[in-house]
Parts: sequence; C-alpha cells; structure tokens
Amino acid sequence: MMSDRFDSLLGQGLAILFALGLGALVILTVDESPMKVLVTLLNGAFGSPERIAGTLLQTTPILICGIAACISFRGGLFNIGIEGQLFMGGFWATWVGFSFNLPPILHMLLAMSAAVIAGMAWIAIPAFFRARYKTNEVVSTILANYVAVLITSYLTINIFKRSGGQSETPPIFESAYLPELFSFSRLNWGLIIGLALAIGVYLFFTRTSRGYAVTEMGANPKFAEYGGIDIRKQVFLVLIASGAVGGLAGGVEALGVHHRFMEGFAPGFGFDGVIAALLANGNPIGTIFTALFFGALRSGSLLLEVDTTASREIITVIQALIILAVSAQITIRRKASDSTAGERRWKF
Amino acid sequence: MEVLERLLNISLVIATIRTTAPILLVALGGSFTTKAGIFNIGLEGQMLVGAFFAVIGTIATGSPWLGVLCGVAAALTLALIFALLVVSFKANEVVVGLALNILAGGLTVSLMKAIFGTRGSIFGHGLVGLPALKLPNVKDLGWFGQMISGYTPLVYAAFILVPVLILFYNRSRLGLYIRVVGEKPEAAEALGISITRIRYISSLLCGLLAGLAGAHLALGYTTMFTENMSSGRGFMAVAILIFSNGDPLKILLGCLLFGFSDALSLRLQTLGISSYLVLAVPYLVALIGLFALSYRSRPRLIQETLASMGRVLSVKSNTIKPATATDASKP
Amino acid sequence: MSVTPATPLAIELKSITKRFGAFVANEDVNLAVESGKIHAIIGENGAGKTTLMNVLFGLLQPDEGEIWIDGEKKSLPNPAAAIAAGIGMVHQHFKLVPSLTVAENVFLGMEIRKGGLIDHAAQIKKTAELSKQFGLQVDPNERVGLLSVGIEQRIEILKVLVRGARIIILDEPTAVLTPQESRELFQTLRGFVAQGMTVIFISHHLEEVMEVSDTVSVLRLGKNVASRPTAELTKSDLVQLMVGRLVSFDRLPRTPTIGKTVLEVEDLWCRDERQLQALRGVSFGVKAGEIVGIAGVAGNGQTELAEVLSGLRPSSHGSLKLNGRTITGLSARDIRAAGVGHVPGDRLVRGVDRNASISMNLLMGRQDQSPWSTHGIINRRYLLEQTQALIKRFDIRTRGPESPAKSLSGGNIQKIVLAREFTGSADCLLIDQPTRGVDIGAQEQIHGEIMRQRDAGKAILLISVQLDELIRLADRILVMFGGTIMGEISGDRVDEEEIGMLMAGVVPEPRPNQVGAA
Repeated sequence: MMSDRFDSLLGQGLAILFALGLGALVILTVDESPMKVLVTLLNGAFGSPERIAGTLLQTTPILICGIAACISFRGGLFNIGIEGQLFMGGFWATWVGFSFNLPPILHMLLAMSAAVIAGMAWIAIPAFFRARYKTNEVVSTILANYVAVLITSYLTINIFKRSGGQSETPPIFESAYLPELFSFSRLNWGLIIGLALAIGVYLFFTRTSRGYAVTEMGANPKFAEYGGIDIRKQVFLVLIASGAVGGLAGGVEALGVHHRFMEGFAPGFGFDGVIAALLANGNPIGTIFTALFFGALRSGSLLLEVDTTASREIITVIQALIILAVSAQITIRRKASDSTAGERRWKF
Repeated sequence: MEVLERLLNISLVIATIRTTAPILLVALGGSFTTKAGIFNIGLEGQMLVGAFFAVIGTIATGSPWLGVLCGVAAALTLALIFALLVVSFKANEVVVGLALNILAGGLTVSLMKAIFGTRGSIFGHGLVGLPALKLPNVKDLGWFGQMISGYTPLVYAAFILVPVLILFYNRSRLGLYIRVVGEKPEAAEALGISITRIRYISSLLCGLLAGLAGAHLALGYTTMFTENMSSGRGFMAVAILIFSNGDPLKILLGCLLFGFSDALSLRLQTLGISSYLVLAVPYLVALIGLFALSYRSRPRLIQETLASMGRVLSVKSNTIKPATATDASKP
Repeated sequence: MSVTPATPLAIELKSITKRFGAFVANEDVNLAVESGKIHAIIGENGAGKTTLMNVLFGLLQPDEGEIWIDGEKKSLPNPAAAIAAGIGMVHQHFKLVPSLTVAENVFLGMEIRKGGLIDHAAQIKKTAELSKQFGLQVDPNERVGLLSVGIEQRIEILKVLVRGARIIILDEPTAVLTPQESRELFQTLRGFVAQGMTVIFISHHLEEVMEVSDTVSVLRLGKNVASRPTAELTKSDLVQLMVGRLVSFDRLPRTPTIGKTVLEVEDLWCRDERQLQALRGVSFGVKAGEIVGIAGVAGNGQTELAEVLSGLRPSSHGSLKLNGRTITGLSARDIRAAGVGHVPGDRLVRGVDRNASISMNLLMGRQDQSPWSTHGIINRRYLLEQTQALIKRFDIRTRGPESPAKSLSGGNIQKIVLAREFTGSADCLLIDQPTRGVDIGAQEQIHGEIMRQRDAGKAILLISVQLDELIRLADRILVMFGGTIMGEISGDRVDEEEIGMLMAGVVPEPRPNQVGAA
C-alpha cells in the first residue's frame, strides 16, 4: 500500500518537474532567463511579510473555488462554472452591501448569504437539467460563465454604476466588510473561511453519512444505487452545494478585498480553483496546498511583470503544463454519468 | 414595422453568413472527434492558437496564406498533445481539454507580450488579411449575387465543407470507420480496425479545422489578434456538437442559428440595447438549445421504447395483455 | 472418429486442452464434424462450449492438440486465419453498428469501393443477392438500430457469409430469439447444409438440438462425453449426459423450521434493456426459514427477477408483498428499509466499490442508521469494531479493515457482500449466484452462512445456474425458463431428469403433487 502511494507521489513529482522544465523552455522562448523568472517569482510571492500576505490574499479565492470544484468532483461531476458563480456571488454580495445600511456583523452575514444564494441560483438550472435529463454539465456551466460575466457587467455599468466615472458599483458600507487580519494588508477573514471550509468539507466527505453517499456515487454509481441512494437528487444537491461555495468565493472577494464590484472583478480565480482541485486529485486538504502554490505563482507574477519582460500569463502556461503532465494520473472521473438503470448511457 | 425592416434585410443575411463561418469551421472540426466518441472541450484553445499563429505567420512572412498554415500547424500541435494524453495515456478528456484551453490562453498572451511588448491586441505590423473573393458575373444575380459574393476564402471553405463532410461520413472508408469507432468500438475491434489510430486521425482532423477556424477569425473575420478572441466559440461549438451528435447538416443548422443570433444582436446594439446583454445572446442561445434539446430527447427515448415494444409485441401478439396471456405465452 | 468418411471431415479437433491458470476449460477434447451436417454442441453453463469454439475460431490458442480443417492440419493464430480457412462465427453478442444500414454492416471492414468512395449500390445489390440465396430475409437499406434481434442475427450471419465462410459456428443463437424467430433460423440452417455448408450449433436447449441437429456432442466439465447421431438419442439421454450423476446426498442437513410467508410475488412482469419481456407472470412465495431456489439456464429472467425484487428495475405488471405489505414500485432504498437484503449477481459492478475499504463497503445502505451513524456522523469506532467482527465471523482473508476491496480474492469480496447483507435487519434475502467465480473453500463457507441465515428464520430466494448448489441448499426449487416458472421441485426429492427437462423448457409428464407455481 505504502509503496503504491509512494510510486504515485514520485510519478506526480516527476511529472511536475517535467512541466517546470517545459515551462523553463517556454520562458526561454520569450527571451527571459528561467532562473531570473524563478527568483523574481519567489521574491514576489514570499519576499516580505506584505508579499506573503499578498500571496495568501491571492490564495483565498483560489482555495474557496477549489473546494467548490472538489465537491463536484467527489460526486463524479464537473462544475466548471465556478467563475460564473463567483461573479454572481460577488455582485449580489456587493449589492446587499451598498443597497442596505444594517448593523455591522448582520450586514456582512446577510451580504455573504446573498453571495451563497446567488451562486446556488446560478448553477440551479444546469444542475436541474443534469440531474433530470443528464444534460452535459461541463458545457452548460462553461457557457453560463460567459453569461454571468456579461450580466454582472451590465448590472454594474448600466444599472448600478457609481456616479463619477469608474466602471464600478458604489462601494459597500463598512458594516458589510469582512474584517481584515492585519493592518498592513487587505488579507481578511476569507482565508480563515477558506481553511475552515477545506477542513469542513474534508470531514463531511470522510465522516458523515451524507458525505459517504456522495463519495460512493462518485466512485461507483451502480453500487450507490444498489445501496438505495437516490442518484438524481444527490446529483442536484452536489452541484447546488458546489455552486454555493463558488458564490461564497465571490462574496469573500467583494466583502473582503474590493468592497465594490467592477468589470474584471476576479479574473480566472474560478478556473485556477478547478485546476488546484484537479492537481490535488479532488482532496480539499490537498487543495489548500495547491491553492497556495497557485496563489504564490499569481502573487509572484505581479512582480514578474515589473522586473522582467515576461508577462504574468507565463504562470498560467506553467499551471496548464503541470496539469497536462499529471493528467494521466488524475483519477477523478465523471462517474455519475454512467448511472441509473433504465436510462440511456451518457454519450460524451 | 420600421424596426423590423431595419433589422431584417439582405445585409442581415450577409452578416449571418459572416458570423456563422468561424463557428461552423470549428464545429465541423469537432464533428470528427464527436463521431469518434471523444468529448473534445479543447476546441476553444485550438482555435485560439490557430488565430494567434496565423497572425504571427502572416507578419513574419507577409503572406496571409502562409499565416494560415502556421495557425493550422499550431492547432495541430495542441490536437496531437490532446490525442497523446487522451487516447494513449487514457487521461480524462475534460481535464486535458480544459488544461489545453488554459495553456492556449496563457501562451498567446505571453508570446504577444514577448514579441510585441503589448497586451490586448495585435494589428498593423504589416498584417494583411485574406483577400475577399469577388465571384465573377454575380452582378447579374441581383440580391442573390450580393449575398454570395465578396467573402474571404475560408467562409466559402466552411460552407463547402458541409456537403464534403456528409460525403466523407457516408461514402469514405475513413469516415465510416470514425463513426464505427465512436458508436460501437467493439465492432471496430472485432473487424480489426485500430481504435487508437482512428481516434488520433480524428483528433488531428479536428485540429486542422479548428486551426482554420482560428486563422479565419484573425485573417478573415477581422484582421487582428486580440486576447481570448475565440471568446467561447469553441464551447458553443461543443454545445452544438452535443445536440447535433456531430452530423454536418445539423451542425450547419445549429451554427446558422448562432450566426443569426450573433448578427441580430449586433443590430440590436444599434437600437440602444446594452452591448453586454446583446453579447450574452449567443451564449444564451447555446444554453437554451442545450437544455431544450436534452429535454426533448426524453420523449424520443420514450418513443423509441414504445417502438421497440411494439416490435416485440407484433412478433408475439399474445403478450399484449400481460395479465391474461400468461398461459398462452408458455411454450 | 472410428469411421473414415469418403469426404474429409469439415473439422476435426484432436485432443484439445485449454487451461486458464489452474482451471481446465477443455480437457483432451476430440471432435469430428462431418461436412454438410448440422452438428450441435450441448452442455451446461461452464461446460467449456464457448472456450472450445473460441479455440476453433482463433480467438484462443489451445495448450495442446491439433485442429484439422477439411482434412488439412491448420494453426489458427487469430480470427483472420480462421476466416481464411472458411470458418465463420456468429457470436452470442452482436457487434452491429446501429446507425449504419444493413448492407453497410454486412460489408463493414471489406467495403466495395469505386473511385475511392464506398459503392453503396453494389453493396446493397450483393447483400440482397446473398439474402436471397440463403433465405435470410433482410432489407439492405434499413438502419440496423430499428431492427429486431432476429433480423440482427440474420445480418451477423450475412457478415459471415460475405466473407466466404463454409463452416459456420453459431454460439447460443436462440438465446435471444423468440420461438418463431428460432424456427426461421432452423429453416435457414437446413438451407445451408442443403447447399453443402457445415453448421456448428451451440446450445443448451434440448428441444432445439433434437429438432435441428444431425449429430450431437455433449460437453461436461470441459470434456466431450459423447458424440452421436441425434436420431440415436432421446431427450432424457441428453439430460443424463449433460448433467451427469447428481450427488443428491451432498444436500446439507436441515431441520424444518418453516414459518409464515414473508415474500409474496404475484404475476410479475418486466422487460429487459432491449425491451424484451424478461418476466412473464411469475408468482411464488417464500416463507420464513425457507430457501427457495431458482434454477434455470442463465438469461431466462433470473437476474431481472432479482433486480425487480430489489427495486433496481421497474416491473410492468404484478405485485410484490413483504410481510403482507405491498412493496410494488418502491425505490431500492425503500425496499431495503422494508427488510430486503440483496446479494447481487454482478458483485463487482453493484456489490462493492472496488477502490473503497472493506469497512466503507460494509457501510453501504445503513449509513443513515443508528448505531452506524448518529445525527449524520458516521460512528467510526463502531464501524471499525463491526468490520473487525465481521471479518472474523465471515472469515474474510484480508490485511485489515482498511484494505481496499480490490485487494481481495473473488471469494473474499463475496464474503464482504454477505457480511453486509446478512447482518442487517432484513427478513428476506435475495441471493443471486453466490458462488460464481469463487474457490471451493470459500464456497463451503458461503453455503454454510446461507444455511445459518435460513435456520435463523430468514426467507431466502437463492438464484443460481449451478444445479448442485441449489440441491445442496434449497428447500424447494423453482425452475425458470423464458421468464416463467416451469415447475417446482421439492429440494429433497430432486429428479435430475425432470429438472433438466424443465430447464430446457420442456414440461414433463404431470405428476399430481409437483406441478404449478406456488
């Protein structure tokens, strides 16, 4: 057993090294020294307390989105629409934040609930069609991302635009702020929420009967069905839960970091979260580390753009290469697709 | 009425044909993988690198045709990686497809910044688009001539490919084998058809057309490259592929619907409707199509069931009334 | 093999032995098939018929022995070599492509082309010609997905013919056919031999064999126990040869403890995946402390019966009662809760999650029940204790409760399923093929465990294709054929001939106290 696990870790490690090597090659092709890029990245990510806080600030939404992805993966489903749920969650949390004036904690909680509900609402239709008619959730959630980004932009620019120039909503009241952790950074309680969520979701899946049912549906739907688990209901609930966490990520960004909503609110956090969860093979605890890794890359890349000629998207390339390199070892499968007696096997 | 007249006229048809072409090309590419039983979510990325390298190639060589070749080569490279990981290493096709899309996004922006020192878009730098083809003697055809003339070559290619693919799937051995591999791999295996080989070929054919789609986007549809310029067309193509099941004619219909909604929404913009809402229309059309058709497939399932039941019953008419036929149906 | 016919034998197998590990599937099999005859090969499930035919078709390589075709010694490394030698095989499971037409399917892999394109017209013409020549009525233009099973089989036969086969092997061709379709098939086969071709017909249906074949070979436990002209044999001879001597005294000792009726099934009907009628009005009852066996050749509705009873498959008609309460149409969950345990026949698909640990496999179905969980939290200590206790009690050979199921042998995986299903609060147990693919030692233990459940007052429905298992365990045996119950036999007075006849779909002379479903 142990040697199996060791082999797979070794394989994973080699694959990542291979990907980093490829990444170095890519960096060479854009005329930079890979070493300089690496040093700049590390410096940018961990060079000072402020920078470490900056890294954690980037880690937070990736972590929460990653947990949203883990939830769906665990049930054998792919929610790729976390980006959209994040935008919706972020917008509606902001809306509650600037439209009402309420007592401090209550206001924040209410705004956060709005984010969660928005996330759930945004995945509800894809989830319903997936559960009831087996409509491919990968495509439906991806397409919903584009719609979410455009609708929130519309709401921001055409309906709620702050008077006086900027393409953004009015700022939220301070009563809706998610408290900051340190005075020198915008790092806030969102990180704690993310960590708690990771542990909570992990415990849910390993310690509770509901989590067990979801896990088995993801692992062997026929077995779960035989054991009396209602697959349709479960598929719907898993996707809704995943969407709720995706919405929460948006709420954390809105109430903890930006305190307003604007165009390009949180570029790519949803996708980074999906990748972080994939790299952790769907394990929420593992996602803490992969999210930190990606957060450091993101944070480091900010300095990268200042100090070198490389663009910060180079880190996206590295992320993608890592996933490709380990893809053959990722055991997550969309299992919930080939379930339930009497229904036609899913085609794609 | 006046509004309608402003919306619906010959230039709308022309606009529809223009907007249909890129998505049609990429969806026809996806039909190869769909028919071969591969779920290829990586179309978006293939199209994007196709567009980027078509621009690079054109600027480097001065010839848009060599640019098209570069774009296709880049898309083929992604397609090859996809096939290698999915077919040979049995990696999850969704994971690989998504990663390749992300790679394409990151790579194009990084290279753009490295080469041109800018973000956002590339234009100028001696970038020339593909020439528009003026068909001869179309003046005599009146509005119809106006409708069919003056597009860039890949627009014609896209529409001509529809009958070519129909012929390919129905009359060529390779097309037939691709269908067999996707529909009934065990039948292919029993006949000694290599599933691996066919899936590689399908992936590469898909890359070829996705690359052309990208090249068209950058050198025909516009003459520039912008960050993420495929803007979800690859995903919409996947939605079309799901409900068309990869059949070229249904793909054409689906793509025309998108082209039309795209063209119409651009017009709606002139009526003062927010551009954000207008831009969302094609995605919404894709989503509604996806949901509506999966909902509709249920009655079809029931119909099929009834049909097959009917068949059984007609063979054994004595089992129509289960309750009373028990003894009769015993041999 | 003593006679040397004027024309060489179509096929002669000499001392074929085929082993799979320690298991001998075919042992020293000699087989002589005369040219221009229909030669039936009959035997129970697992007698080695399919293995032998796969050897003949080049799908498997024999460990020992020779294959002679038309008087020449051949080696058949692959199906292509067999096809080149004029052998064609119609498999039990069809390999047709639904969206293609009949002609396209027939010519798939050897398309007729003109100018690089497939010449549909020529393919259709040729298919029509072949179809006419051999009396296999098909419409070459139709899409296969719309056709019935009988016609699909004709297409499979046409596929073989178009490749020039002179010797045609049909593996259980009637298993999926209606009686009418079977009759038409026999007609076709007679046409083949009339045109000088040779047919090998694999079956376990006695009547058919008697009806259609010229010669019969009987396989039992991997050996050819007899090859004779059909005319010299009676049905009961065949049954005797197929089943051999049954060791009826192997029956496990029991005390009569039979109580009130627990499970009542009345006039149950359902369809299978292909929408064919799988159950046609099945009625019976199972009492507490009783094992009711369901005998029958695989594919006669037994699996569907278990699935309907466990709530995994909808019934189209009829009623189910458990302890007097109607449970018709309830979900798998509700039927479980009502008190039905189920040991599924496809244990690796439905019975376990192969990647999960033993303890997680034992939890399935009871994860919401106290004391397995309280307020939705799994009681891990209780689970671990129970797992350890069950590993001990059921003698599951494993390194520990956290070992994944897939690290265990088939017999031990089955013990996990039994340990789960037998220790719940179920009053009624559905047990489907409990010892399929299980070694002898584990078989003994599993049988002992089933008897213990019986003696504890559970109502047990035991489905098995192994007759000896049923005779060992069951108090009563119901024989299924074609989705109906052909008859009932008391477990202590098993007449092997009678049971064999019932399994083959033949109703024996009525005896006053033994006929009819309960």
